[in-house]
Amino acid sequence: MDWGKLKFFLGEVGTNFTRNAAMQFTAIGTVAVTIVLLGAFLYVRDTLTSFGTGMLSKIEVAVYLADDVDDTQAKAIAVKFAQDRRIAGAAYIPKREGLRRMRSLLGKDFDTSLLTSNPLPNAFHVRVREPDAVPAVAASIAKYPGVAKTDYAADTVTKLLRIADLLGRVGLVMIGLLVVTAAIIIANTIRLTVFARRREIAIMQLVGATNMYIRMPFIAEGMLAGILGAAVALGVLFVARLELIPKLAATLAFVPFHANEPLLAGQCLAVGAAVGFIAAWFSVGRYLRV
Amino acid sequence: MISLRGVTLTYPNGVRALDDVDLEVAKGSFVFLVGHSGTGKSSLLKLLYREMRPTAGEVTVDNIRVDKLRRSRVPALRRNIGVVFQDFKLLTHKTVWENVAFALQVTGANTKDVKRQVPRSLDLVGLSHKSRMLPSELSGGEQQRAAIARALVNNPKILLCDEPTGNLDPSNTTEIMELLQRINLKGTTVLVATHNAAAVDRMRRRVVRLEDGRILHDDERGYYFRGLGQTQVLSG
Repeated sequence: MDWGKLKFFLGEVGTNFTRNAAMQFTAIGTVAVTIVLLGAFLYVRDTLTSFGTGMLSKIEVAVYLADDVDDTQAKAIAVKFAQDRRIAGAAYIPKREGLRRMRSLLGKDFDTSLLTSNPLPNAFHVRVREPDAVPAVAASIAKYPGVAKTDYAADTVTKLLRIADLLGRVGLVMIGLLVVTAAIIIANTIRLTVFARRREIAIMQLVGATNMYIRMPFIAEGMLAGILGAAVALGVLFVARLELIPKLAATLAFVPFHANEPLLAGQCLAVGAAVGFIAAWFSVGRYLRV
Repeated sequence: MISLRGVTLTYPNGVRALDDVDLEVAKGSFVFLVGHSGTGKSSLLKLLYREMRPTAGEVTVDNIRVDKLRRSRVPALRRNIGVVFQDFKLLTHKTVWENVAFALQVTGANTKDVKRQVPRSLDLVGLSHKSRMLPSELSGGEQQRAAIARALVNNPKILLCDEPTGNLDPSNTTEIMELLQRINLKGTTVLVATHNAAAVDRMRRRVVRLEDGRILHDDERGYYFRGLGQTQVLSG
């Protein structure tokens, strides 16, 4: 490694970077805002997707039996489930078990000691192989003798997923526009630097520096702005996660707040660097035509 | 070393800067390009380092067809050609040493070469003792010498000078011309576009006179005005 070369290059980048401090600040700020939104969006999307697919894989048809159904009849119904190819399995939940589950699910929010009798019916939780088949299965089970009611959440879940998908598209378009804005601001900042350094560029071209060489300090400048912006954004997102997510998680207990955070951080940094790179590439390129 | 054949250069606005010019410059020679402003001297030099391309004709420099040269090959050509201008084109915030080193650094030279070549080049132009100064602290002649040191630091085969003494007083002019002669004696081909009749007459080198984009005359050991020494012109 030739340290003299590296020192010269870093000196060039440093000169570029500090020449238009105010513009540079704007550029970094814009990238930061963009990446905060991108990061938050990716986090929410991850959470919604894992929430939705988690639920989808667990879709069950709740089959509530009439009060007068005895164990023999319940067993007969279980046999019919076993014969139905669309059904993956069924679990019998006697009313006492149902109440216990409800207690543990609701915790202190619901004082079950106030109940004088168990209001829950005996029930089956039927797992269906394909989410699409859920409505048909539920309908056919409803006709079994002894079945009082069937219930399932598939509709809600598929709606949720569709909404998540739509939000994802709209969000991506908006973030795309923000990324373009950030790129334009970085490009303008670099154009100012290029303009301030036009004498140097002219001399570089005169003494035979390659266009690639002339470009490099500016590209480094753009990528530095992008990465710094992304780093600021990640700082903000990190604080937000520490402060906000526990509160949200307490309120929305049923939503599993979860995302692959190192991956998200990497994606944010990569987007920042890429925006800087592309912006710099184009804004210098226009000055290099011989 | 340099060859122009049937070279015509027309600007987009229709002005014809060069009109069917033929010129041969042998390796190691010293040539003055003279003529009024706007007669195509600068344009001719620009064709050589590929700042411009001719509208028609062939431009050959060191066996390279410059007029056909791909853009990506231009840097390699320019590392073989030093160029000096009337306004020196030094970077004002860099010292003399840094200005000269810049030409090597931006062409990717390693530090060892920079440390060897820069002092050698500064020594050649006699500026070693002022290498830490900024251009603003130097006289015009010294600034031009710094610019020449930068042009030579790559060891080019050709040195092109566009009005190198245009901003200088007579004594500095003499110094620069003597320096260019010394550089030429070391084997570098030197082309000087100039208005300076006195300097041309004193040197008695090949003189190519351009007029309206054409070569009016071309004399070995010539004068600025054909057949006349500067003194005769002044007294006549």
